[in-house]
Amino acid sequence: MSPLIDILSRVVLFQDLDASALATLAPLLIAKKFAAGTVIFRELDDSDALYIVEKGTIVVSKHVSGDVDMVLTRFAPGDFFGEMGLFDNAPRSATANVETDSLLWRLDRSVFHDIFSHHPEMAAKICYRLVTIFIERLRVTNEQTRDAIRWGLEATGYVSGNQSLFGRKST
Amino acid sequence: MAEPAKLQLLTRKPGETGFQLHEIHSSQAHLGYRPRRIADEFWAITAQPQSAGGGRAYVLKNLQSDRYLLLDSKEFYLWSLFDGSHSLEEVSRSFHHQFGAFDYAMIRLLLAKLYQAGLLVERGNLGLQQSLVRSQTKFWAMGFSSAAKYWRRIAFTLPNADRFCSTIYRYGGYLLFHPVTLGLTLALALLAGIDAWRLSPQTKQFAQLLAATPWFSGALMMAALLAVSMMHVAVHALACKSYSRRVREIGFFLLQGVLPTFYADVTDIFMSTRKARVIVDLAGPLVELFWGSVAFLLAYHSPPGVGQAFLFGIGVVLWEGALINLYPFSFLELDGYNIVADLLGMPTLRQQALALAPQLPRRLLHPCSLTKAEWIQIAYLLLCSVSVLIYLIAHLDFIRSLLPSWQ
Repeated sequence: MSPLIDILSRVVLFQDLDASALATLAPLLIAKKFAAGTVIFRELDDSDALYIVEKGTIVVSKHVSGDVDMVLTRFAPGDFFGEMGLFDNAPRSATANVETDSLLWRLDRSVFHDIFSHHPEMAAKICYRLVTIFIERLRVTNEQTRDAIRWGLEATGYVSGNQSLFGRKST
Repeated sequence: MAEPAKLQLLTRKPGETGFQLHEIHSSQAHLGYRPRRIADEFWAITAQPQSAGGGRAYVLKNLQSDRYLLLDSKEFYLWSLFDGSHSLEEVSRSFHHQFGAFDYAMIRLLLAKLYQAGLLVERGNLGLQQSLVRSQTKFWAMGFSSAAKYWRRIAFTLPNADRFCSTIYRYGGYLLFHPVTLGLTLALALLAGIDAWRLSPQTKQFAQLLAATPWFSGALMMAALLAVSMMHVAVHALACKSYSRRVREIGFFLLQGVLPTFYADVTDIFMSTRKARVIVDLAGPLVELFWGSVAFLLAYHSPPGVGQAFLFGIGVVLWEGALINLYPFSFLELDGYNIVADLLGMPTLRQQALALAPQLPRRLLHPCSLTKAEWIQIAYLLLCSVSVLIYLIAHLDFIRSLLPSWQ
């Protein structure tokens, strides 16, 4: 087994593929190296590929105001990101920042569409896995929304539970 | 309290590659906030007499929403700084300088109390987290909570209580607070006491007569108690009006969540003097004393029979009611408790004592660390516990006397 196939076998997105399918997929990926501090893509950039992390860490952030972004999530080796770009023509919804020197594998949308045409069974397995991952990430997003609200409540002095007011009821 | 929520931000300096990550805790962000109280014409504050423990409390009133807060001297200091010009960081520094120590949780709790009472400029509805917490509550806890909710539903309040009381006070209610009325009540009680003493040898016969018609006697007693209880509460409210203070509510509720009873909310009397509060507290039990005395006098002058027995029984029950009301150490916030709390200058004595109770075994290992106020709370707990114990023992004895097999 080649090193790349070994890496791909550990990526959740491809866990339903067998060795021959992984061998078909491997040559379609393009290696990309990024130095720490650089940007892989920015929010609102054209969206056309998915990235698999072999080495390094990626911080995904969303612009809030001025020079401030809010960190949404982090990706480590074995993770992938940018999957919306495989299906959607809409611009990137967040910015991918390289936190430490990274080696990524890029899967272009056109290549993914070719897989659909020539290897529909393989494409179906990838899509099925993608759906489950979308659901999981949606759950994480809900948790993040809740945390953000909790942060806002606490930052404005909110304390849970009713604080008792003072009073005297003569009986 | 749970760990503060964190927010992670990413920033870039213009013209530079790379970025910086910052983790900001909610409490850290909060430090920049400048709390601002509502306009001065919408609130009033009254210093309470110095407590036996040495501290001084303040009652803060929202004049718009008619809500009250009891502040200790530290909270009062914080309140004086919540003018919109001091950030919480400045407030905490100033507080540390003044008192030598600082607990950030105290500011958060005070802010929450002030928001709830509508005393700080609002920043939107903050009820969300509470509903989230509620949705995670366990099934049995929800069941218990809904049962308690239904039980609490028996509570009700009289609409426009203050206007109602003002009218009664204006059209004759003020006469109740004339010194002559008090003198007449005490004279009546003295005469009634003598008559009750003369009737006391017949107590066993009265009990037998009442026991012959238990349902009828019981119903009449309950009706009489209910009527006097309503008058008791009305007199508390009128006493409050005699000091030109507002009666917030009159109604029916579960005292301490258990004991069904009528009440008058006389919190506004805290904006007046300690003497006024004690008089409002004393006014209620005088109603039982008065009607109990009337019942004893009528019983003495009635022909022997069920009527006399019933009047004597009512007299006993009402006088006993007055005594129970005036007894301060029952764990219940009855009139006697309020008087003691007012005299000690510790309006939340019971709550403070109950909050101290779980810590007592640990705290008593180092008695020197206990403050004067805490010793007073311990004394309150001790007296209440002993009183309840004596009450239970006395009643066990009574139950045993009713059951021949126990003899």
